[in-house]
Amino acid sequence: MTARLTWMELRLLAREPMVAVSLIGFPLVTVLVLAGVFGQTPDPEFGGVSPDDHYLVGYVGVVLAALGLITIPVHVATHRELGVLRRFRAAGLGPRVLLASHGALGAVLGVVAAALVLAVGAAFYGIGAPEDPLGVAAWFVAGLACFVAIGGALGSVLPSGRAASALGNLLFVPMFLLGGGGPPRGVMTGAMQTVSDLLPLSHVVGGIREAWLGRTDDPHALWWPVAVAVVAVLLATWTSVRRATT
Amino acid sequence: MMQTAPRPAASTAAAATPAASTPGASQTVVEVRDLEKRYGERTVLRGVAFTVQRGELYGLLGRNGAGKTTTVEILQGLRRADAGRVDVLGMDPAEAGDRLRRRIGAQLQDASLPERMRVHEALDLFASLHPDPRPLDELAAEWQLDHLWRRAVGRLSGGERQRLFVALALVGRPQLVFLDELTQNLDPVGRRHTWDVVRRIRDGGTTVVLVTHDVEEAERLCDRIAVVHGGRVVAEGTPASIVASLGAATTVTFTDPDLDVGAVRGLPGVERVRRHGPEVEVVGDGPLLAHVGAHLVAVGRPALDLRAHHPSLDDCFVTLTQEVPS
Repeated sequence: MTARLTWMELRLLAREPMVAVSLIGFPLVTVLVLAGVFGQTPDPEFGGVSPDDHYLVGYVGVVLAALGLITIPVHVATHRELGVLRRFRAAGLGPRVLLASHGALGAVLGVVAAALVLAVGAAFYGIGAPEDPLGVAAWFVAGLACFVAIGGALGSVLPSGRAASALGNLLFVPMFLLGGGGPPRGVMTGAMQTVSDLLPLSHVVGGIREAWLGRTDDPHALWWPVAVAVVAVLLATWTSVRRATT
Repeated sequence: MMQTAPRPAASTAAAATPAASTPGASQTVVEVRDLEKRYGERTVLRGVAFTVQRGELYGLLGRNGAGKTTTVEILQGLRRADAGRVDVLGMDPAEAGDRLRRRIGAQLQDASLPERMRVHEALDLFASLHPDPRPLDELAAEWQLDHLWRRAVGRLSGGERQRLFVALALVGRPQLVFLDELTQNLDPVGRRHTWDVVRRIRDGGTTVVLVTHDVEEAERLCDRIAVVHGGRVVAEGTPASIVASLGAATTVTFTDPDLDVGAVRGLPGVERVRRHGPEVEVVGDGPLLAHVGAHLVAVGRPALDLRAHHPSLDDCFVTLTQEVPS
């Protein structure tokens, strides 16, 4: 049932042009501009690699953040607003099936969107093969789990698509700027660095980047996005099941 | 004229449907006893009780906020009651959950589908939830959805949307269907079409629980009705039995400024006589119009505007639901 529902939701999302814009439009345009501005010359501010490599591989993480903070919550909260979740539930589609389906939906979208960003980035600026493919895969899976779970948790509490969109953008922009999508950590103030270190996105972006470029001088904590994922899954499940039985 | 204090439901229910007073009998599809529900400080249900028999078209009639929707949501296991006993198709909805929900059909108030979902996708998805769904082409033809097969839900008219929602509620061959405010926002023609739809569901052998605030709808469609007000069932029975139970007084009026009303008071069935200027109002029961008319002819003063007013379900509904819930 989860597979069937996920497939249907994917088809519905494919008919929503705004989803593509919110999910990959912004990260794609930003990465193309930044990579174009900073160029391909290795730079000590970017850890000795070229800025376009620095941004391109890291933006896989930014796409995941857009997915978890905006796309999934807006989708789920819009369903709630229209009474779709209620109608599904009355038909026997329980909250756990819906959560699983939205998780699967997020996973598929995350893989497709990340592949698209990498493909477009590579086509414009070129990009080397990952130095540590297993490391990249581990970080990608951890980041995907983290942000899909955050998306599920936000979607389980927000009442409407507009509320989800407003809160999502409010969360996304600072997380994007301080979490690896904006200036390198080295040029941030001390307070900014502290906030940056707490954001799961910083670790996901940094982890994917370090593994892809084969560097080990800037280690990141894989357990942090995984821990956030676990807490978010628990919150989403608790809230959804509670909503379904009050 | 009529009683203003709501009567306990049991008095009319017992008279109207003896079978309803045998809880647990195989013909009882829904049994609700002493149902209570609070949302924070607000008490929504205060001991709701009624039974629905197999094959019935049963109405939950009440004003907005009376507790009707909360009641049917509890019956479907979508909300938990704070107290009381609920039995639907032999199951406790709070425990049975999806196992029950896949045996019942539901058209919910204010619950839609994704705007870009197509009619056939919705039917296909909902059919996949059931072990033995109705053939979709047959169902679509039955509810005039075949020509809308590929249309998005967001592009359906109000009537088309309702037909789709009813078809979705029936796709799993349910034994029991809940229809909540089915004709809300429909024009008069759409409303009548929808009434035909509801009758067809019942005629097909499915038990229907219809939630409505529309007295005419309840009176035209329902075999029996529970009038819900302030979280209580304040009357239950057939529309006729509810009217009869509320001291169904008939009022006869006519104009005669000079008639001696003292003699009218002595006619059979007359409870009271009032004069409002030239107009005389006689309240009572039985064949009141005939007695008053015969008297006026006998005294040589036949009135041209002699007429009788019998209380309707609408009158009773206003009487039953005008009090502010305590």
